[in-house]
Amino acid sequence: MAKSKMFDLGRMRLSGSQSVARGAIEAGVRVTSGYPGAPISDLQGSFDQLAGNIPRNNPFTVLVGEALDEAVYQLVSYWGTTSNEDNAMGLALGAVIGKGDYKKREFLTEEEWDLIYGETVFADDKEKGIPVGSRVMCSFKHLGGNTAADVIRVAVNAVPYTGGLSIASGDDRQGTSSQTMQDNKILFSFHFRIPTLELYSPRTAHNTVKNCYCLFEELGVPFALIMNYDLSYREVSVDPIMELDITANQRRKGFTRDPKHLVTIGPHIRPKEKKYHSELIPLFKIKIKEYFEFLGNRITTYGAEPRAMLIVNGPFREDFEIVNHDPDIKERLESKFGDVLVMETDIVFPQPDSLFDELISKHPIQEIFVFEEGYGQVIYLQLLDIVNRMGLDVKVFDCGIPFEPRIYERFSYIDYIMDV
Amino acid sequence: MATGKNPAPKRFTSDEITYLRPVSSCSGCGDTKVSWSLMEGIRRFNRELGLKGRDRYELIYAADRGCGNLQGYHAYRIVDAIFCMGSGAIVGDGIKESCSEKQIVVTASGDGAYNFNISGIKFAAKNKRFGAINVIYNNYNIRMTGGQTPLEINFNKEGTAMGFDVMHINPFRVNDNAEIFKTLYRRYLKKEKVMVVADGVCAIDNGKNAKAEGIKLGHFKRSEACLDLKFAKERERVAKEEPEKLKDLPRFKCRLCGIGLRCHALLNNDPSMCSGCGACSQFPCPVDALSFEGANFLSIANANGIKDLGDMHG
Repeated sequence: MAKSKMFDLGRMRLSGSQSVARGAIEAGVRVTSGYPGAPISDLQGSFDQLAGNIPRNNPFTVLVGEALDEAVYQLVSYWGTTSNEDNAMGLALGAVIGKGDYKKREFLTEEEWDLIYGETVFADDKEKGIPVGSRVMCSFKHLGGNTAADVIRVAVNAVPYTGGLSIASGDDRQGTSSQTMQDNKILFSFHFRIPTLELYSPRTAHNTVKNCYCLFEELGVPFALIMNYDLSYREVSVDPIMELDITANQRRKGFTRDPKHLVTIGPHIRPKEKKYHSELIPLFKIKIKEYFEFLGNRITTYGAEPRAMLIVNGPFREDFEIVNHDPDIKERLESKFGDVLVMETDIVFPQPDSLFDELISKHPIQEIFVFEEGYGQVIYLQLLDIVNRMGLDVKVFDCGIPFEPRIYERFSYIDYIMDV
Repeated sequence: MATGKNPAPKRFTSDEITYLRPVSSCSGCGDTKVSWSLMEGIRRFNRELGLKGRDRYELIYAADRGCGNLQGYHAYRIVDAIFCMGSGAIVGDGIKESCSEKQIVVTASGDGAYNFNISGIKFAAKNKRFGAINVIYNNYNIRMTGGQTPLEINFNKEGTAMGFDVMHINPFRVNDNAEIFKTLYRRYLKKEKVMVVADGVCAIDNGKNAKAEGIKLGHFKRSEACLDLKFAKERERVAKEEPEKLKDLPRFKCRLCGIGLRCHALLNNDPSMCSGCGACSQFPCPVDALSFEGANFLSIANANGIKDLGDMHG
């Protein structure tokens, strides 16, 4: 029986980075590794404090730390000791491939389980349970994605042994403390091709993180969480009630041999690569559609016959929320777009194509406007592909911003949406 | 799960497509000799502790890329994880976080990949949570990709500076090395850090060096007590006298030495194929039938009073 523990921490201010740390802790993460660099250091520093490596010096780590101590929570944090992002990721990869325990299936059908685990050493499990081990989080700033690219790319070849691993990337798309304004969504989505989410608020990020662990662990695939500079640092007041997944945190340890998956040589990876492209990514899309809301996404229809669809992702999403609280803004939305279907999303990759097909068949949608931050146009390009591939009669418009405005240049994204 | 034996069903353990790129190490390859010693060492360690079945310690081997490690996978199946270049040591330390207390993680790389791995190796040395056994297959060159010269390395100085107890082994002293690894597994459990440098593992280079020095290498020798030789005679007799029974006879009787050391010369019982490594003189033949005649990689190093061939050949 699954064990969990609840703690009411009272009112506190929480940054985006702390909210991600909160989500990871609630998910039962046991091993964290990372390499520091703005804007992600706060996340790793939180883990280091919670693990007791350095003194707990803020309300979040003090209160959560007490809760973890009480729950006898197991947490190991490697921050600066993993001396670059490549090393941090290598350690995370090593820590996640040990599958010494089982959990019951929650998200997969038997056929889906066969597809994912049918060629592993666990294939003969009659219960078709999920082989699990430590949940792991690795984090670095956007440039770290380049340094760690070798390991992340090879981690895809170790699927499904990499289930339970998340990679948190703090993107500095405003060039505040970096030599580039890199958009890591393109790296994680199009190069590594792992599920990628852009978080949007310190109030909700923890839920998305926790639920991603649940789903993507079963799917056996690592996932990427991206925050922009603003979200990483910006604090909001919240009343956190934490529910720790103690069962996940205290799983039995053990390494199970499966060289066909863990020794990445040509004869092993060639069929896996093909399968990943042609069978697993399509499955991820199906599961993302099935658990669209569970992953923190939301679809709202304004009016009876929407002819336009807005996809508002990441920072656009947070500013968009005002529509539901300000009647004037809502009126502006309706006068601008008429009846409109709004998809507020965290998910960046892979986009659930059947969901779009379904929505476009159901509603008279003719235009899709994509609002995303960063030069990658990752959602826009996927939408173009979906529309072309499925022969859908709609036009797709790229309405994104290729960079992140700095604080003093920051303009209202809701005005931007209304004026597009 | 996580038991002493491989839980994989047979159909998953056999890798039917690996033959597309066969890996066949030379008969005198020092890499294969180290692999044998690692495996034999853990057997002896468990035997010494009187551990059986699920109570036994298990060797988990996280390697880097390179011939030193691919032979371990292809020939011995001892390699459990190989990912990208430079990740062997750090992935090994990650595995330590999630493996059971009965699993001992050994990490390995060649001397070229050592430089690539160095931050991970340093991490392993500094990580107070676990012990470390880091094996370096030292060819003095980057053998797998054509013999390039790597950055100059002084393992003694570098390893010691990082926090390792540095130990050089002659890869061809297979029995001595098995005893050494047996001791090292105990030290690992006490969280000690040991770097094992297997010097002069490349049989081709060693052969060339010996020739350049004017040394004529010898070859293995089997006495009449050899079970396989006896059995071969029996097969000959059956073939001559009772040919109908020949198909029921196994092809060989023992072959422990040839299979254990992955030696083509021993397997074919052909001294002309012998590279002169001398490892067989230390192999624990059950009937003591194996010996070596003449100079070999092992005896040359002994005679010169040095630890490895690399020092001798500069």
